[in-house]
Amino acid sequence: MTIRPQQSYIVDSANAPWKRGVTEGVAFACQVLLSGEDGGPEALRFRFDDCPSVYAHMHLTSQFQLLLAGAMDFPRGVKHLEGLAIHYTDHNMPYGPFAVSQAHDMLVLHPKAGGIISMANHEARREINLGGRLYAAPASQVEWQALPGAEHTSYKLLMPPDFGPAAVVVRAPPHAKLAMPPAEFGRYEVVIEGSAIMEGREIGPPGFRYVRGEDAAEALETGDSGASVAFLTFDRDALEGGITGEGLAVEAAEAMARAI
Amino acid sequence: MTSTEQSTEPFRVVVFADFVCPYSFLAVDQIDRLAREYDVQPMWRPHWLHPDTPPEGTPGARSPERTERLRAWIKDMAPEHYDRVRIPDKRQYSFRAFEALEFAYDRGLDFAYKTALYDLMWTEGRDIGEPETLAAAAERVGLDGAELKAALEERLYAERALDAVKQAHSIGITNTPTIFLGKTRINGWTYYEVLQSVMDKQGMRPREALASQL
Repeated sequence: MTIRPQQSYIVDSANAPWKRGVTEGVAFACQVLLSGEDGGPEALRFRFDDCPSVYAHMHLTSQFQLLLAGAMDFPRGVKHLEGLAIHYTDHNMPYGPFAVSQAHDMLVLHPKAGGIISMANHEARREINLGGRLYAAPASQVEWQALPGAEHTSYKLLMPPDFGPAAVVVRAPPHAKLAMPPAEFGRYEVVIEGSAIMEGREIGPPGFRYVRGEDAAEALETGDSGASVAFLTFDRDALEGGITGEGLAVEAAEAMARAI
Repeated sequence: MTSTEQSTEPFRVVVFADFVCPYSFLAVDQIDRLAREYDVQPMWRPHWLHPDTPPEGTPGARSPERTERLRAWIKDMAPEHYDRVRIPDKRQYSFRAFEALEFAYDRGLDFAYKTALYDLMWTEGRDIGEPETLAAAAERVGLDGAELKAALEERLYAERALDAVKQAHSIGITNTPTIFLGKTRINGWTYYEVLQSVMDKQGMRPREALASQL
């Protein structure tokens, strides 16, 4: 059995630089939080200007979108999301077009570099993952539940427990330890409110840690004001796709590079 | 059966759809094209999205904002339809159209009939809740509009249409269009290239490709 090295990245999003960009006529501000260039995770933060139609596209890897603020509307399926909300897609699973409004702010979280491909690309349409999963839900639709054995700590599941990938928000009082099981396929741990101590660094929203490995990572500890932390865990789909250096992957990587 | 033998079973293409669904309308051209390009005879079956809609329809069921977002969606996903589509300002009653589809089926023209009816509703602004619209679609494909109106009046196909709706429900159809291409189920509208890929993976070749092998 091959033992993969433990991966851990800690990102203080609040202090990362912003840049303006435009893709296919859609204007936005962006932070590149993790580039994925080392073969590790890719994480971006986008603030789209109000736009009635962000073009349909897909990424060549699994993706969590964590909508922090503002709104996203998906006409098909009549899905309206307001922050805080989750939007998950498997690799090569197209979504959109969608509208963004109300001071949009979103984290785009990949287990590895995934590029971006517009669905106007006819060749890309032949690469769609027909069995791909998509799940979206606002956090406001889910009730908090008490976490057994942990006083004043509660959680809400943002995705059904048997879905595969998992998304849970944990709200804990000051100086609580938040220990999670190993994340074989990778997990983002995003501070939503308050602050958390991550391997000796205090990180505020929307900073995060990405961990991956067969051993459990060091437990997070909430800061002096407590914290709400979103744990977004990939499953086996995270092993699929990616920027392979040939065909569509080259186009996807180039398109992402142009966009950001 | 070995992998080199040809199946004698026809390749089944079945689409569950509702006339009032814009995504089903956008699938019509695709399925018609599939029927032209491949040796298949698709079936169009009903899935009743809004059984609570009264026969006169429900005004204002889609807000102006939703209508605008739908138009933006069509512009991005199916731009060839953008200029011709007319989004109704009320949710129309589709059950009579399901009855009319059964009438056309008995005369071997259901596939053509559904295209004519979608066009009347989605490009000419007609109300499919009205028997006149259903009869007009019938006339376009060579059916007797007066005969259809009489059949609707007498509810000759109501039970069959209801059975079809129940069948869709019983096999777990929840959204439209739901497209079955052989063994593959596709939930919701998708690109024509996806349909081609699915056909290809199941060994179905376009007529043109088959002809070139002769």
